[in-house]
Amino acid sequence: MPIVQFVPFSSSVHPSFWHELTKLKIDVLKLDSSRVPITASYTAGKTVLDRETGNEIGLGCHLTLGEDAFKVDASRPAKHATKISGTLINFNTIEEFKSSDKAALFNDLADKFWSSVSAAATSSSSTTSPPPQLNTFLLLTFADLKKYKYYYWFAFPAFMASPPWEIADPGWGLAEDAFGREGLEGVREQLGGLEGQDGGAEGSFLVRRGKEGYEVGRLGEWAEFFADVPEEDRVVAFLDPSSTLNPGWPLRNLLSHLSSLQPGKPLALNILSWRDTELPTGNKRWASRYGRISLPGATAELEGKRPTAVGWERNAAGKLGGRMADLAPMMDPTRLADQAV
Amino acid sequence: MHAVQTQFWAVRDYLSPVLRESKFKEHGRITPEEFVAAGDFLTYKFPVWTWEKGDGTRVRDFLPKDKQFLMTRNVPCLRRATTLAYTDEQEDSEKLLSFAEGPGSDKDEDWVQTHAGRTEAEGHAVADITDIPDLDGPSQTTSSITTGLNNMSLDERGALDAHPIPSADEIPDIDDIPDMEDEGMEEPEDEAAAVPEKPAATEAEPIEVAKGNLLQVRTYDVMITYDKYYQTPRIWLLGYDESGNPLTPSQVFQDVSAEHAFKTVTIEPFPHSTTLTAASVHPCKHASVMKKVIERMNAGIAEEQKRLGIASAKESKDAKSGGKKWLGGMVRKVTGGSGSESPSTGTETPASDEADGMRVDYYLVVFLKFIASIVPTIEVDSTTAF
Repeated sequence: MPIVQFVPFSSSVHPSFWHELTKLKIDVLKLDSSRVPITASYTAGKTVLDRETGNEIGLGCHLTLGEDAFKVDASRPAKHATKISGTLINFNTIEEFKSSDKAALFNDLADKFWSSVSAAATSSSSTTSPPPQLNTFLLLTFADLKKYKYYYWFAFPAFMASPPWEIADPGWGLAEDAFGREGLEGVREQLGGLEGQDGGAEGSFLVRRGKEGYEVGRLGEWAEFFADVPEEDRVVAFLDPSSTLNPGWPLRNLLSHLSSLQPGKPLALNILSWRDTELPTGNKRWASRYGRISLPGATAELEGKRPTAVGWERNAAGKLGGRMADLAPMMDPTRLADQAV
Repeated sequence: MHAVQTQFWAVRDYLSPVLRESKFKEHGRITPEEFVAAGDFLTYKFPVWTWEKGDGTRVRDFLPKDKQFLMTRNVPCLRRATTLAYTDEQEDSEKLLSFAEGPGSDKDEDWVQTHAGRTEAEGHAVADITDIPDLDGPSQTTSSITTGLNNMSLDERGALDAHPIPSADEIPDIDDIPDMEDEGMEEPEDEAAAVPEKPAATEAEPIEVAKGNLLQVRTYDVMITYDKYYQTPRIWLLGYDESGNPLTPSQVFQDVSAEHAFKTVTIEPFPHSTTLTAASVHPCKHASVMKKVIERMNAGIAEEQKRLGIASAKESKDAKSGGKKWLGGMVRKVTGGSGSESPSTGTETPASDEADGMRVDYYLVVFLKFIASIVPTIEVDSTTAF
């Protein structure tokens, strides 16, 4: 069986985030380069119809940082968006940015993150526990304020399953075929209700096939929700930022979380990649996908230990490396004057 | 010079009174209340649009605090407007653009026609294109306002043609950014990470990539503010390239139809932020264009309503389906085109005041279609299924 591949996040940073960072750097952080909690968000993957070729073009798997990134306790993300919290480290010089021990920073974060993913797992039997944090990110920055240049590098830690997850034939299919239009409409409706109460567990939720259509529940309610449900009627769903065939990055940590519930045991799950936050229009089909994946029992020695984490973002050239946002053309007063007619 | 001008606009904006009377049918201008009503309708109908608060120090007090401006993120832009290949069919649409003007009318009063700069565009902006692909037969450009209005069905296919724009200047100089591999540090082999597809084409489309006819999918954040001086909505664009880097102004202008770049589209400070600047379509002609469009629509609606009125007189107030029909009808009327029947999406249109023609709620929907003619490749018009 082919192994499951996940589409990595790609960062999408709104210029207003850099403006906020500039303000923060000048007014608050000054020369402090300690960790700052920030938040980002993602929405369901979108596709757009290419009017020339008539094909659907996927729009990538974006994690968006806007100007509200520093308002960690800001009440709610935009409609249908899922918020994830992360860490910002802003360096004072480009040398520091370059020479920082990125592997150590990453491992440090991954250690903490793993304890969140797995410790939450052990306590998730109680319904009162807060939803586990299943996604996080690390952002290293250096802001060259005089030149309006911002160097940055994202990491989206995810844990590798060993051996990897495999997908059963026939691979990822359209959810519409598995659930039917009515089924998906039902899921969507109930999801609206779930969203009302401070969101699902970071964009993941459970679906079961009941007598009267499909029912939706929270990830934290696993034991109760799936109590008398036969295995083939249990579905794990998540908000999928990917728009291509493969599921997006958030599924990876969700799976790590679920497999850490039963370490070392083989596992088989029905996965619903939820991408229909907007109703399909016209003759379009529902975009959500569905697949059955399985984990052939992990090696027991891994038990208790943190699996290897990956997740540095690749730059435009496809290499592991930082990126730079040059805002001079949009911020530098002299260059703006040149543009004006 | 520009700074002075910007300052002047700010002062003028400050001094101008808030429009109170509803004038949208007479001038194409709307009051802040109408802007909010139209915005509410837009956000209700098309949830990709949301109301935003903006910067707390830049609150315009004639608008509700939490409804300062409208925004939609990640609007795709598959191709560059400068590479658009135009067909002769646009002649029709151009004629329609200068509608409602008497024979003696001043040409300067017309909204600049979208494709007037065609030859010019081929002269310079598209200079680096080596082979311009053949046009497929009866396809049409979707980029003029009238075809934009006509373009109500998703099946419409434009003759937008693509060619990669040299991207040398789009990738920032990253020499001075450390490469992880340089540092002798590597990530563990991760076979479960999907290799990013470039461009992010769905599985259905490997051919496009193979042809080298690469799409460059940019995304835009689009904002609509209310311009107090011109008493119209005003559109703002913030662009990103494929890897999420902000676009420079000159790159943004690649997505503006040649005639409008540098003239009606300029880079201005965004009014709801203290520091942000964004590309904006200058609203000085918005009102007159909107007025014409609304007039055309109203004429269409009146006719349609007469017809409907006879048909559905007995059904009295049950005008829901009528509401849907008249919009589709008036659009066909306005465009004069033989556009395909707009698919019935079961729209629940509260259809009171039908006799008065177009309701102000639709103002922004129509406005977006008009904007789509200025930025033909940016899919601002999410209302195609409407």
